[in-house]
Amino acid sequence: MSLLVLGANSLIAQAAAANFAQAGHEIIFAERNKDELSKIAEDFKIRHKVNCYSVQFDALDFSGHKKAVEDCLALIPDLQYVLITFGYLGTQESAQIDFSEAHRVIDLNYTGVVSICEIIAAEFESKKKGNIAVISSVAGDRGRQSNYMYGSAKGGLSVYLQGLRSRLFKSGVNVLTVKPGFVDTPMTYGMKLPGILVASPQKVGRDIYKAMINGKSIKYTPFFWWYIMKIVKSIPEIIFKKLKL
Amino acid sequence: MEERAFKTQNSMKFEEMELSGFGKYPKAKCKVTRPTGIEDLKEYLKEGPMVGRGLGRSYGDAAINKGGFVAESIHMNRFLAFDESTGILRCEAGVTYENLLDTFVLRGWFPPVTPGTKYVTMGGAIASDVHGKNHHKAGSISSFVLSFNILTASGKVMKCSREENSDLFWATVGGMGLTGFILDCEIKLRKIESPYIESKAVKLGNLNALFDKFEEYDADYHYSVAWMDIVAKGSSYGRNVLFLGNHSKLDELPEKLKLRSKEKHIEKKISVPFEIPFSTLNKVTISLFNSMIYMTSKNKENFEHYDKYFYPLDSILNWNHIYSKSGLIQYQLNIPEDRGKEAVDKLLHKVVSFGGGSFLAVLKKMGDQEGILSFPFRGYTLSMDFPVKKGTIEMCRKLDEIVLDYGGRTYLTKDSILDEVTFKKMYKGLWEKWMDIKIKYDPENKFTSSLGRRIGLCPS
Repeated sequence: MSLLVLGANSLIAQAAAANFAQAGHEIIFAERNKDELSKIAEDFKIRHKVNCYSVQFDALDFSGHKKAVEDCLALIPDLQYVLITFGYLGTQESAQIDFSEAHRVIDLNYTGVVSICEIIAAEFESKKKGNIAVISSVAGDRGRQSNYMYGSAKGGLSVYLQGLRSRLFKSGVNVLTVKPGFVDTPMTYGMKLPGILVASPQKVGRDIYKAMINGKSIKYTPFFWWYIMKIVKSIPEIIFKKLKL
Repeated sequence: MEERAFKTQNSMKFEEMELSGFGKYPKAKCKVTRPTGIEDLKEYLKEGPMVGRGLGRSYGDAAINKGGFVAESIHMNRFLAFDESTGILRCEAGVTYENLLDTFVLRGWFPPVTPGTKYVTMGGAIASDVHGKNHHKAGSISSFVLSFNILTASGKVMKCSREENSDLFWATVGGMGLTGFILDCEIKLRKIESPYIESKAVKLGNLNALFDKFEEYDADYHYSVAWMDIVAKGSSYGRNVLFLGNHSKLDELPEKLKLRSKEKHIEKKISVPFEIPFSTLNKVTISLFNSMIYMTSKNKENFEHYDKYFYPLDSILNWNHIYSKSGLIQYQLNIPEDRGKEAVDKLLHKVVSFGGGSFLAVLKKMGDQEGILSFPFRGYTLSMDFPVKKGTIEMCRKLDEIVLDYGGRTYLTKDSILDEVTFKKMYKGLWEKWMDIKIKYDPENKFTSSLGRRIGLCPS
């Protein structure tokens, strides 16, 4: 009964973790910002009366990832669930003219996840149990001119997770790819979004919890994004490239 | 609602949208932001004047700022520390009554003062210095606020309590968000044995009986509030039902409720999904509704769950939608104790003569005043809802005159129509004192709201 959240300063992560806490799981929050980290852990302790730990973790400090995982396992050796939620939307326009922004988008959404995931995968594989869930995005299902930097990193991530899932399947380890649509978070605040499609972090968090507990492989959340993306993916490229999406 | 996304010069995000309070009147275009902490707030302060906003449950324009920034506390809602032995909680300003109740009731703690809805943040509660059905006994929320941290206009975070920066403490409590942005607070919760309220309803035929009963039950009940049928005429005029209550002791509960006391409460909610395009409230429906309440109320003693007792309207989400697009005015006034009965009688007659029935009219006894601009003082408060239509505002102005005549005042959190002159008469001796503190901490009026400008607490 334990969960590790990597990228705790995400409302989606906290909403999902709240479901785990209510079910009585111990939680380790890992996050770069130390102040935020202690606040999140303290809030959970008060709100849910569960054991909470915090571990400082920087997704971009690849060489520190092994140590971070070791720190977590020292706290809860029998770690059961891992939820990876860190990511970075960035701005498409600046990523096009400034490679450092593109690099950051790729590293935070792809390279960083691959780095930490492999360490956890090895651990779970050797124990022959465990659950890993990673937040990808519907944006990774098809490249669009308006956010293909972010989309391609998430797309790569989704493919990576597919492979990892097959590899770990035989060890009894589940890998869940979460593909949220628009969620009402500080990341998306101030963006022009179609209100009716925007979900609350609580709704998405609940979906993630259920999908993790039930050992699902891919979860579109809210569910209707599966249909939307089915349609988006089916548009022939010759037409798609002319669209202003 | 048209939403437009923008960025400030410092590339801080905001959405330009039309905002209103819970009464949906008035409305104004504001630059809405959702800061995640102090650093964000400081950046916005550099860009222009602002006011904080919790869940937008004040009725009028207290949490709107025409053309300026409105900073929503939605992302600042964490519990920071809790002491199980004393019940002292430190939490961020965006924590709501709902959050408090969900977390603490089953552990035996209750908010010491609660307004009639749980969709209120602690920041909003302090800025309005909210009161509840126990004001005559316990005072307003500020009686239980030990301290708070506030971001002031200079960008400095100041800790305020009765001992430390006490001038700012008393100006902020009930200060309608005009002294700064409340970041977090420390409040003392009340120990309870069960989530149930031992309630008693007393049906009364007229106003005299009600005022007598307020006195009679004063000592025995922690909570008291009366509902009045203010459309009834003739022999039914002034008929009312007095609702009393105390927190139930565990061993007084029936076995069934003793067991339920330990379970998480699940409430059923219905919603008014859209604004009803025409007003469903007219003389006939209001009169029917009020008669129905009176007829179906029984003289009885009962155990009621706190949710039903304190927050009956919360079970109907967006109930304000029944007032159609034009919205409602909630008119709440307070009259000094000694002339309370006479004034209430006069006010009711005035409302009846205007034919402006109120869907819900509530009367309650109030205790002593806390903050400088806090609404409550020892007396009787009457609150009424009026649909906004032709003649409503004129009627309210007439009511203002009566309130002033009796040395009373109206509640800024509910207000949307008061003008500067009337406000300054109602809060005479207080607003001047408050203004000195405002000028000391916010000389350039970086914190301002549509309400503040309307009633002359901030320059327009």
